[in-house]
Amino acid sequence: MARYLLSKLFEAALAIWGVVTIVFFVSRVLGDPTVLLLPMGASQQDIDTLRAALGLDRPILEQYGIALLSMLRGDFGISFQHTRPALDVVLERMPATGMLAGTALFFGTLIGAVAGAIAALRRGTISEFVVMTAALLGQATPVFWLGIMLILFFSVQLGWLPTGGSGSLAHLILPGLTLSVFVSASIARLLRSSLLDIMREDYVRTARAKGLMPRTVFFWHIARNALIPVVTMIGIIAGELLGGSVVIETVFAWPGVGRVIMQAIQAQDFPVIQAGVALVAVIFVVTNLLVDLLYGVLDPRIRQR
Amino acid sequence: MNGIFRTTVFMGATAVALIGSPALSQENDTVTIALRVAVNTLDPHMTASVGSDLSVLSHIYPALILRGPDLKLQPALAESWEMTDPTTWRFKLKSGAHFANGEKLDAAAVKWNLDRVRDDAVGARIAAWFELVSEVTAIDETTVEVKTSSPYPALADQLSMFLLLPPEWAKTHNPANETMSGGPYVVKENVPGDHITLAANPDYWGPKPEFETVIFRTIPESAARTAALEAGEVDLITGVPATEIKRINERGAAEAGAIDSIRMMLGKFNHQKAPMENLKLRQAINYAIDKEGIAQAIFDGNATVANCQLLTPAYFGYNPDLKPYPYDPEKAQELLAESGVDLSQPIEIEIPVGTYLQGEEVTQVIASQLQEVGLNVKITEIEFGAFMNKQLKARDLAQIAVQGLAWPTIDADGMLTMFAPGNVYDYWNNAEFGALLDKGRASVDPEERKKIYADATKLMCEEAGALFLYAQPATYGISKRISWQSRGDDWVRAFDMTLRN
Repeated sequence: MARYLLSKLFEAALAIWGVVTIVFFVSRVLGDPTVLLLPMGASQQDIDTLRAALGLDRPILEQYGIALLSMLRGDFGISFQHTRPALDVVLERMPATGMLAGTALFFGTLIGAVAGAIAALRRGTISEFVVMTAALLGQATPVFWLGIMLILFFSVQLGWLPTGGSGSLAHLILPGLTLSVFVSASIARLLRSSLLDIMREDYVRTARAKGLMPRTVFFWHIARNALIPVVTMIGIIAGELLGGSVVIETVFAWPGVGRVIMQAIQAQDFPVIQAGVALVAVIFVVTNLLVDLLYGVLDPRIRQR
Repeated sequence: MNGIFRTTVFMGATAVALIGSPALSQENDTVTIALRVAVNTLDPHMTASVGSDLSVLSHIYPALILRGPDLKLQPALAESWEMTDPTTWRFKLKSGAHFANGEKLDAAAVKWNLDRVRDDAVGARIAAWFELVSEVTAIDETTVEVKTSSPYPALADQLSMFLLLPPEWAKTHNPANETMSGGPYVVKENVPGDHITLAANPDYWGPKPEFETVIFRTIPESAARTAALEAGEVDLITGVPATEIKRINERGAAEAGAIDSIRMMLGKFNHQKAPMENLKLRQAINYAIDKEGIAQAIFDGNATVANCQLLTPAYFGYNPDLKPYPYDPEKAQELLAESGVDLSQPIEIEIPVGTYLQGEEVTQVIASQLQEVGLNVKITEIEFGAFMNKQLKARDLAQIAVQGLAWPTIDADGMLTMFAPGNVYDYWNNAEFGALLDKGRASVDPEERKKIYADATKLMCEEAGALFLYAQPATYGISKRISWQSRGDDWVRAFDMTLRN
């Protein structure tokens, strides 16, 4: 187990280094942030002075070396736009993102799992048709449009909930709901097809022939196996949501990490881009690790390897 | 049954208790202003963004001079100011002004602030505004003298965007994320990316502000801003799409309107790229575009067509004698035929996306009207950062670039200088125009300057130095409990607002 974790950790470090390196060079090739930081009409001399102050006038490999060494110490530099440590700028947005992602993941998985199971068990009935149509609609509806519609109905028409922002549970309901719709739709569709596949397996028929209770067959033999692809999917969605949902954060003025990274990209604020990308990479690596460990719990054959 | 009922009631009660009642209606002593972009930094010397950072900070830090809603300068910390000779300014400060920590807001503090932005080691983003300042002297406690290396008639205007930090405090604190008020408000709560709440400063040396609490909320999405206004959560929003104005007024929950901003929209010509060096072609393009039609169709009549110049009437140096090129596609075709230009060659029109109010729609109209007179045009949509890099760094602008230009001092010097040879923004390279601007800058006599800028604008019009379009409307929506005088620059300030009765 220790060896397994160690090799995973090594892979993770390699992945993060790779991402950070690519982003470092690509962002610097694409543009010069000084032209965006300075006011209209700044002269070439102003541009040069600021470039020197930000250390952007040094050879790119030297900049890369300095950046990499600082990153090892957890220092991503001072944000060009925010003029304070880039890591703080990103990390202070994490609680909001975590809260939204957690809500969407919890309710999305719960609703998606129940809906997917109903659709598989009630195959060919009207309930399967209703569930699957709803799931298809949920997946196909642009979150942007859904978000605006919910705001107009619940906030402007009824006046029940705030239109956006954060600070209380009431603020969390609409963005959480919008995001849950998307999550549950994906999970319901995947779980249904996965369940249907497993139900056709020989060992399921054997279990039924043994005279096991239908409930035992479902939970012990079918569901456990059917969950493997679903867990993978949840892992991917969790990684995506924790990296910030730019569209939802924008529509609901939610102060999450997605918006701050997006803004940094637009402003070519290199330190924040790097801190943000490194953070997202860490999140993906950790969720993947958790998914790997969960496989072992679900399937003893994976555990023994 | 009973059990289920009890559970439901319990859950309902819990939900209500957890959610609480969202603060939908506002207290009388509170005003809420929606910002389009989040406040990035609290250091007023590290940002040039009037519409967000500086507007919020102007409640906390005092300025020598303020620009009022009528776009005229008003005394703030400076009681009066005068140009004693072409390169010397004197500012007389109010006495008794101080920061909340007791630090004096005197001539020495003003000097320290002007020295700070001019210090290369600080890397102040607004250093360019004070490039011409050569020396600052505190004559006595309430008199500051500013020397400039050459005449700088717009210095007072520029100072209206310059906020003052407490020098002693700044030695031991980081102004990027802390504040020490010297103005009417103090920061009560700051949730980056969400909102900043300000409370009236009990130690303020000036008159007590109208509102006890001011909340700036960041709402990046336009439809969500309108929703927040109509739900009564915010009192002022900006950047309303022109076509929404009528609908907001019809629905009646709030009011909306537009006035001309100081931002002029234009098609910037890259005279260095063929065929834009051809005068007749440039004039033909100006004849080919139905400016009035764009103002009516896209902006619902809320935009004013440019009078063949980059300046709106609000600018010093505006030339009242110029008239726009009329919409005359036949004349355009004639000129194109005379120009001898190969009409089949591709002409690229660039537009930075999501930057200007309905800029993409306007660009569509321009492209189709240029096609109607026989030009082979194609549109390139480009991200704003990449656009600025292309313009200033790579110096490789497309033949036509649709963009908006404004100069915060509202003076021809500055706005027109962006088209002077040698300026990083210039793609025209007209020596005669450059010479006129140099002459304008060397003079401090307003009448003489006006005459010089009249010549410069006339020259640019005749030479069709750009495709002159319209002044971008400053659109806004306001709640019915507040009055606020709409303005053409980007300042949004609670101290310009009053409660309606």
